[in-house]
Amino acid sequence: MNVPPAILDLKIAPPDQRPVHLWLPLFLLWPFVLVIGVLALVLAILTDVVLLVLGQPYHHYTILLLRSLEALTDTHGMVIRIRSDKTAVDMTVQ
Amino acid sequence: MGEDRSRILNMLAEGKITAEEAESLLDALDARAAGASASAGPAIQGDPTELIEALPKFLYVKVDSENGDKVDVKIPVALVRSGLKLTSLIPAQAMDQINDSMSEHGMSVDFSNLKPQDIDDIVEALREMEINVDSANGDKVRVYTA
Repeated sequence: MNVPPAILDLKIAPPDQRPVHLWLPLFLLWPFVLVIGVLALVLAILTDVVLLVLGQPYHHYTILLLRSLEALTDTHGMVIRIRSDKTAVDMTVQ
Repeated sequence: MGEDRSRILNMLAEGKITAEEAESLLDALDARAAGASASAGPAIQGDPTELIEALPKFLYVKVDSENGDKVDVKIPVALVRSGLKLTSLIPAQAMDQINDSMSEHGMSVDFSNLKPQDIDDIVEALREMEINVDSANGDKVRVYTA
């Protein structure tokens, strides 16, 4: 697992307009994500246990949640650049 | 050994790795060769094979259209792996809807049949993948890992 994304750098340059440069410190959200993640994890475990007891074939919400968080973490390093006549967008997840 | 060396040089020639990365890999190969030939030499620091296998960390998608539009996307290979693993965990009902929606858009891929081994194979195959498309109208698409 990578280091979670810490900064989202977003530049949008519409034609004939002043470019917008957003520097979003995602690391400030980490504590909130941690709290929400733990609560969601507890809820997912309880749901899976109930589904398992009820004999439901699908009871993988806990793994689904963990994989989702892993995918979120793995966005670290992603870069998207789009250039056209109408606009230019640069997005970097650091 | 020669195969590893030529593979590193090929990756350098194709621009998949930098000169510094190639140098460190070749040094690691030399160190392994020296360690193998010496009966009582110093311990090898790191396994170059692991370094070589771990090299492609990003999937690049570059599109240059004839009208000047350009798209450049760099996706971590780890994200591809995580996404595929995530796909295999989506509930069947939701997966049916996803498959139907994708089928309507011309992509008939059934992700519900993906197994963990398949995911590993797909990610492993990405390492060797390189797609170059030059269309008649001048559009160019390039997909590769590095």
